Order: sequence, then C-alpha cells, then structure tokens
Amino acid sequence: MHKIEVDAEMDLLEENKRLAEENRKILKEKGVIAINVMGAIGSGKTLLIEKTVEALKDFKVGAILGDVIAKDDYERVARYGVKAMPLNTGKECHLDAHLVHHALEDFDLDGIDVLFIENVGNLICPVDFDLGENYRVVMVSVTEGDDVVGKHPEIFRLADVIIINKVELAEAVEANVDKMVEDARRLNPKAKIIKMDLKKGIGFDEWMEWLTCVLQSQER
Amino acid sequence: MSFAQAIFDTVMKIATEKNAKKINSVHVIIGNLLMLNPEQLKFCFNVITKGTIAEGAKLEVEISNAKIKCTVCGKEFDEYVGICDECGGFLSVEGGKEMILKRLEMEV
Repeated sequence: MHKIEVDAEMDLLEENKRLAEENRKILKEKGVIAINVMGAIGSGKTLLIEKTVEALKDFKVGAILGDVIAKDDYERVARYGVKAMPLNTGKECHLDAHLVHHALEDFDLDGIDVLFIENVGNLICPVDFDLGENYRVVMVSVTEGDDVVGKHPEIFRLADVIIINKVELAEAVEANVDKMVEDARRLNPKAKIIKMDLKKGIGFDEWMEWLTCVLQSQER
Repeated sequence: MSFAQAIFDTVMKIATEKNAKKINSVHVIIGNLLMLNPEQLKFCFNVITKGTIAEGAKLEVEISNAKIKCTVCGKEFDEYVGICDECGGFLSVEGGKEMILKRLEMEV
C-alpha cells in the first residue's frame, strides 16, 4: 500500500445545480411558474397558499408541500380541489433539487400556471438549495420577534418577495414592524416587501397584485 | 448532513476509481455565505464515514470569503450588511456560495 494525493477540484454542489436546472427546464416546457415559499414554522406559508388558491381565479395552481414528516399541509391545500402533492424529506430540514425532481416526475403539470413549492419551515437550511424555482418568497411573522429578519441575512438577501405576517399581533408581542421592514429593505433593496395579516386580510391584495403581475407578464 | 453526504459520495466515487484501500484526509473549500458550520460538518462527516474506508479520515475545511463591496464607492466589507455605511450605496456580493472538494489523500 502506498499513499497518493488526488487534486480533485470538484464542485460538490454541482449535482444540486444540475438537477435544479433540469427542474427549471421541465417547468418551463410545461409553461409553469414555480414559487419556492420559504419561512419559519408557523409563519403562515400554508395559509398563504390556501388563500391564494381560493382567490386566484384566472390561473390554475398546483402545490408541492414539503415537510419533514406528516401530510397536514398537503391535506389543507388538497381540500380546495387543486393538484397537490406532499413531499416528505424524512429527516432533512430543507427541500433540495433532487427531491423536487422526483416529485415533478409524478406531478401532472398539464394545465398548471403556477406551482407553489412550500419548503420545510426553516430560515437557514433551505437557503443554499436552488429547487429550480422562478421566484423565492420568504415569509416571517412578527411573533418570531422583530429581530428575525436581521438575524437571517442570507435568506432575505436572495428573496424576491418578503412577507411580514401577523402585523395585527405586533403590539401584543411588542414587535416593531417598521424595524422588520427596514431590515428587509437594507438586506434586499430589490425585493417586494409586504406587510401582511393573512387572517385579517391585510396585505393580501398587494400579494395578489404581485403574483398576478408576474403570471401575466412572464413569458411561458 | 446533506453537505457531508455530498462530500462523502464524491470522495467514495474517486476512491473507487483509484481502487483506494483507505482515505486519510479530505480537503474542502467552503464559501463563508453557505449556511454551514465547519465543526458540525466534520461531525456529520465522521458519522457518515463510520464503517467505510473513509472512517477516521481527517476533514480539513478551508473557508473562502465572498467579495462584498459597495457598488458606488467601492468600499469592501467582511460581511453582508445590505447598504454601504459610507455612502448608502447597494452592496454587491460575489462568491461565498461555493463548496469545492480540493484534494484528498488516500492509500492504494
């Protein structure tokens, strides 16, 4: 036996990048806009998808609901009669392009205009995994504390839309919504920032306006 | 864990090609903007390699820093703060997201 050294110079994230590009190609061929919905546990991701499914009349929605285990989110969305699929990671704290690739193999994309991919509730791990989406939406709520945006710069830096939810509860939990908005704007001056309270219907119109605009203008 | 798995899978692929009997060390370069803690990565790598020819291999982690600078005045920053504290310009970020298997040492 003797020792050898191998200069590998290999990109270890290449596999995820490759599969993400493949997903992007599949989605584009089918004319589907994919939106990666990220955010903390309980921030309102599933409710946003539910309300959007209900409100979006001119476009057909599909949804892939990621979770570590359980199908609760899937069941919540599926009862609206849209094409939906649960995607359990088993142990992992995020979705990756490989998992989504398998999901897309089984998902009937015909007729779908917009596919929501709800990531696992987490503001850290999902950041580094491109799924092949067109847009990234990051949702947080004031109940997570008004420092939550500033503490997770990467996920907000790379978002297209930043939603700060449950603003009606801000006073009760002593959260400063303006600080959250300022942090978001500082980290990502290009992102669309929406102050929302989904249960009270605040900010939802603004979200629908953005979404409709994207769906109408996108070349598909 | 999935990053450790990616390292392991690639290392094993190379080891198989070279008919390696044992892996001694693995050197990786990790961008500082990846959501990765080197100590946790080493721990996960140790767990994954148990019972394989890579068991006991040393994982050396080198950090590569993103180039973060103001798009207006050019001031450089160590971390992403969003807006330049000198002139208020937007910051640009280059790199910091890579993960490269640089080299490995093995016995054949």
